[in-house]
Amino acid sequence: MITSLAFYLFASILVLSALMVITARNPVHSVLFLILGFFNAAGLFVLLGAEFIAMILVIVYVGAVAVLFLFVVMMLDISFSDLRKGAMQYVPMGLVIGAVLLLEFFTLFGAWQFAPEAMGQVSAPIAADSELTNTEALGQLVYTKYFLPFQLAGLILLVAMIGAIVLTHRQRSGVYKQRVAEQFARKREDAMEVRKVSSGSGA
Amino acid sequence: MSSLSLAYLMPALPEIFMALSGLGLLVVGVFLGNGGTRTISWSVAVSFAVAALLLLGLDWDRIETFNGMFVLDRFTGFMKLFVLVGLITSVMISVRFLYQVQIARFEYPVLMLFAGLGMMIMISANNMLVLYMGLELQSLALYVLAAFRRDQNRAAEAGIKYFILGALASGMLLFGTSMIYGYTGSIDFDVIGQTLANNPVADTGLIVGLVFVLVSMAFKVSAVPFHMWTPDVYEGAPTSVTAFFAIVPKLAAMAILVRVLYGPFMSISADWQQIIWFMAAASLIVSSFAGLAQKNIKRLMAYSSIGNMGYALIGVAAGTQVGVGAVVLYMIIYMIMTAGVFSVILMMRRNGIGAEDIEDLSGLSTNSPLLAAALAILLFSMAGIPPMAGFFGKLLIFNAAVSAGMFNLAVLGVLASVVAAFYYLRIIKVMYFDEAVDPFDQQIAFSKRAVLLLSVLFITLFILKPDALIATSMSAAAALFTG
Amino acid sequence: MELIIVFAPLLAFLTAGLFGKQIGDAGAQFVTCAGVIIAAFFSVVMFMDVVFDGDTRVITLATWMSSGDFQVNWALRFDQLTAVMLCVINIVSACVHVYSIGYMSHDKAKGRFMAYLSLFTFAMLMLVTSDNLVQLFFGWEGVGLASYLLIGFWNHKDSANKAAVKAFIVNRVGDFGLALGIMATFVVFGTVQFDAIFEQAEEMSALTFDFLGFELHALTTISLLLFMGAVGKSAQLGLHTWLPDAMEGPTPVSALSHAATMVTAGVFLLARFSPVFEYAPFALEVVTVVGACTAFVAATIGLTQFDIKRVIAYSTMSQLGYMFFAIGVSAYGAAIFHLMTHAFFKALLFLGAGSVIHAMSDEQDMRKMGSIWKEIPYTYVMMWIGSLALAGMPFFAGYFSKDIILEAAFAADSKVGMFAFWMGIAAALMTAFYSWRLILMTFHGKPRASKKVMDHLHESPSVMISPLVVLATGALFAGYVFYGGFVGSAHHDTEVHHEVTALGDSHVEEEPVDTFKWDKEHFWGEAIKVLPENDTVEAAHSVPFWVKKLPIVVGLVGIFFAYVVYLWREGLAVKIAAAFAPLHRLFFNKWYFDELYDRIFVTKAWSLGRFFSVRGDRKTIDGFGPDGISSLSMRMGGVFSKFQSGFLFQYAFIMIIGLFALVTWLMYRITLGGY
Repeated sequence: MITSLAFYLFASILVLSALMVITARNPVHSVLFLILGFFNAAGLFVLLGAEFIAMILVIVYVGAVAVLFLFVVMMLDISFSDLRKGAMQYVPMGLVIGAVLLLEFFTLFGAWQFAPEAMGQVSAPIAADSELTNTEALGQLVYTKYFLPFQLAGLILLVAMIGAIVLTHRQRSGVYKQRVAEQFARKREDAMEVRKVSSGSGA
Repeated sequence: MSSLSLAYLMPALPEIFMALSGLGLLVVGVFLGNGGTRTISWSVAVSFAVAALLLLGLDWDRIETFNGMFVLDRFTGFMKLFVLVGLITSVMISVRFLYQVQIARFEYPVLMLFAGLGMMIMISANNMLVLYMGLELQSLALYVLAAFRRDQNRAAEAGIKYFILGALASGMLLFGTSMIYGYTGSIDFDVIGQTLANNPVADTGLIVGLVFVLVSMAFKVSAVPFHMWTPDVYEGAPTSVTAFFAIVPKLAAMAILVRVLYGPFMSISADWQQIIWFMAAASLIVSSFAGLAQKNIKRLMAYSSIGNMGYALIGVAAGTQVGVGAVVLYMIIYMIMTAGVFSVILMMRRNGIGAEDIEDLSGLSTNSPLLAAALAILLFSMAGIPPMAGFFGKLLIFNAAVSAGMFNLAVLGVLASVVAAFYYLRIIKVMYFDEAVDPFDQQIAFSKRAVLLLSVLFITLFILKPDALIATSMSAAAALFTG
Repeated sequence: MELIIVFAPLLAFLTAGLFGKQIGDAGAQFVTCAGVIIAAFFSVVMFMDVVFDGDTRVITLATWMSSGDFQVNWALRFDQLTAVMLCVINIVSACVHVYSIGYMSHDKAKGRFMAYLSLFTFAMLMLVTSDNLVQLFFGWEGVGLASYLLIGFWNHKDSANKAAVKAFIVNRVGDFGLALGIMATFVVFGTVQFDAIFEQAEEMSALTFDFLGFELHALTTISLLLFMGAVGKSAQLGLHTWLPDAMEGPTPVSALSHAATMVTAGVFLLARFSPVFEYAPFALEVVTVVGACTAFVAATIGLTQFDIKRVIAYSTMSQLGYMFFAIGVSAYGAAIFHLMTHAFFKALLFLGAGSVIHAMSDEQDMRKMGSIWKEIPYTYVMMWIGSLALAGMPFFAGYFSKDIILEAAFAADSKVGMFAFWMGIAAALMTAFYSWRLILMTFHGKPRASKKVMDHLHESPSVMISPLVVLATGALFAGYVFYGGFVGSAHHDTEVHHEVTALGDSHVEEEPVDTFKWDKEHFWGEAIKVLPENDTVEAAHSVPFWVKKLPIVVGLVGIFFAYVVYLWREGLAVKIAAAFAPLHRLFFNKWYFDELYDRIFVTKAWSLGRFFSVRGDRKTIDGFGPDGISSLSMRMGGVFSKFQSGFLFQYAFIMIIGLFALVTWLMYRITLGGY
């Protein structure tokens, strides 16, 4: 009872806030609604017993991604209403297509059937009586069964990093940087010169 | 689970080697700085070559590893081998170009290496998750390469467009995968295939999920109507990147498309055949007509590649072993032709500035007759005119369609080739018959000449012994049908 | 020997093409001429072997490719039909090769030209010796490619380029039909091998298959598709527009490919497929009607043209029409017979015209010629021989072949047969008229060329005249000598016997022949198949007397009118043209085919192209110049501003629509459509 009540609460807020993300006039509001949406999605995961994913969602998406969004949106002065103009011409058609697609998905999920053997071959089920927490269960899988995708994820992140550096990093002239090695290597002779100043003639 | 023994890693040895050499070269690159781009590039080419040798050294009888997530068999081995050949070619023809347009940064070859790794993983994927990972690894590197010339708005725009649309496609892949998982309870190809074979009338949801997956792959092979990014990205990206895009990822994407359809989803082939049918037909029609209106040769090549994917999709739609064999052969010939054409396009430089319009080729036959003749042969081959190799590709594709009873598609294919012949011919006409303009810069890198020569030789001499490659392609295709 | 015939020209091409620089122009000329002459010699040997000893053979060189059930061998097939074609091709080609030495003497790229000619010859040989449809398609496209290179040989001429491209594209449309025909054949017969196809043809005669919901008769479909290919290559009505334009190429090319060999490939293809066509009566009717219309329309256009080569080109088209309606009434032997005689006299006419053009300092307009027959007497004689043969005057080659075609059409005793007969008679009248119009305008009357040209007037060198003599021999005797073999035993003109001694040229066509079993059954053997009830050639020997003589009568009338209009009553031509102005305009503008096609297809294709490419060549960046500010935010802003331009939305939107369409369609099909 409580569970289903919580489900409908989270779900409806999630949908509403998602709607607000795309309709809000102020981009900052959009991002804030996005954060609200993330929180509710995390709530849904908790209801499903997937507490690890819920926490990751809060920490990574809310804590890092959304906040980064907020920064970018606030730093770049983008007029979203201008941006939206381009999209507006597609709204009528888009609404029709969206509505039909939604209808189709309702019929689809309403009449959903599982393959008879589906339950038996769920990829990595946790045994019902297991004492393992989510985190432990994932930890046992990621480095063993899912070793290959895990390594690949690492490579993807590496490529993303290279990409970000390639596309944004540039050498600028006239910028002062700290060069630690040079600073350490500097000797007294390089920086100072001892001169005898004869009195009366100035420096 | 089995321990991380050598036997466990063995089938993925080329990939592991590529990953390690990528990491190593990245470090070396940081120390050498951008001055070391040439060194890094050639090292990357050597890495590909070594990976190819490692691949050849492996036993290609079907073997699975990484808990059944990674598979090596005749089909994947063969396709990976040609992907590596394409990668080597792409690196070779781009080195000089990087210096010419002043984007010689050591990350460029390293990104190509990682993109290549992504493709290799993708082809060998035996699990939706690994497929997604390979696809993303490849795509992410490609997005960056597209925008590599970041001081040019055109390139930046190409990168952004490709990225956003690509993200949309990836989203569809994941959504589709989730629906497939929802029905079968697995993301493992073998298990999915087994489940579907046991349940001949699958749930509609599963088929819709497959549609989503297909759409994202159609985006990668740029089949109509998911092709919209192609002309813009081809035009906007630096030419060497365009060449890379045209030569290799198409091959990899087509390979995994075939593997997904003919692997886990073979038992519901009646459903996907129609989808592929539609995409093939649309690609043929759109590309052959849109090609007519192009003036920029890179855009033209974009439509040409869309059209060629249309032909390959005819073979995929056939749903037979002969069809797959034809696809394999067609893609290989396409790759070789494209490499040749792009090495010519990369030579189109006048006073140090790249020329990209078809008009720029005017009178090439008087300025450099050999180059013109080579390009003419390649274009005739693209148009599918005998006795060039391109004809054989089309012939086998049509043969596959006809023996699968898809007459309409075969008719459409022949019709499209008639229209498409016109735009290829237009280039030849410009080269041979138009008033000569200033000659192109004469210094042509040795590697480009070598690629061009090999490509032309292959195209013209294929007729002498077509059966060698055809038989190999067919036996590669057979690997998908034994299990 | 078989290999020499086919590969000697290829070797010559490779030598002249690859080592052209090393061996020089003279070397290239020698190599190519030698290659083709050797091939010609062995062709004749082969001809005797095959025809007299009945030694037909298929030589398999290699397995070429196999994919599933689809097996293609690389094989050379030598039967009677091939042997005839080999002789025609190699002899005419040899003449043209030698002639080109003289004709192209002022050209810069002699070696390249000779190489192309040899390449063309090789492709043509591949076409006629092929043992299966795929190999035939190779030769088919090969001649197209070589002809493309040859038409556009003088690429400094814009018109030549356009003509080359046009020829190629129009031919692609025909090839489209041929390619589909090959596919259909494979579907129906499960093979592309000739023998296997022909064996099964009878069993398949009742077969139908389903295409786009239509029940189609299999063999009729195949026949019509193959015919479509033939229409393109042989310039029949509908796809003929490229042929007159192709006259922009050097004249030897016109003689070789656009008169004697390439354009007859369609006739060859249909004759080769006689075992299939025989079971597709409807297809035969279509062939008859198209052929007859072509013969007529082309002749009407020929009446009005002024370019000497175009007149001959339209005449070629018209004669090809004869060959096609001969095939349409199952007179395959007659069609090939006319193909052979036509090859000789039309090549003769073209080369003669080339000689005139050469003499007139590259002038092709007949209005700027006249009164030159005394200066170039040999050429004049040759043109007379060619024209007499073309007009079907007795004892010349064209007489025998054209008559038997018309008689066969009459003897077919069907509606389309009669239609073809009367169209053919009308065309024969016009043929005679425009042939003499050509001769009279070119050689007689007042000189209309500039003084400079007239002073420069000279007879062509012997290297150009001697090939003409060879061809003239063919034009004179080929008809008489081969009449019996090609089209039957009964002969109605005995008085020609004593004519055979003239012109002691040791020409191959005069090989002593054993006339004893010299009839069409023995001659063709298995190469051509005619159902007994369709044997119009046999019936043609017993048609009424007036049918036999009518062609000669109308020919003489045509010649007479030409004399009246162009020599005796000058100025009459203009008056007649004025009197029938609308008709004249229609003929002169070639029935407006080009304009029609341009309006219907070309413009439509381009606008469709622009539609699909959304924005064609619009530069990606409009109004966003480099402003030198490279701060990240500005750049990001710049990128975002492009979102506004809508393209990204549009692209994503189209993707979504595509996805939506696929999903909806599938859902409909599975849930509502019953599956």
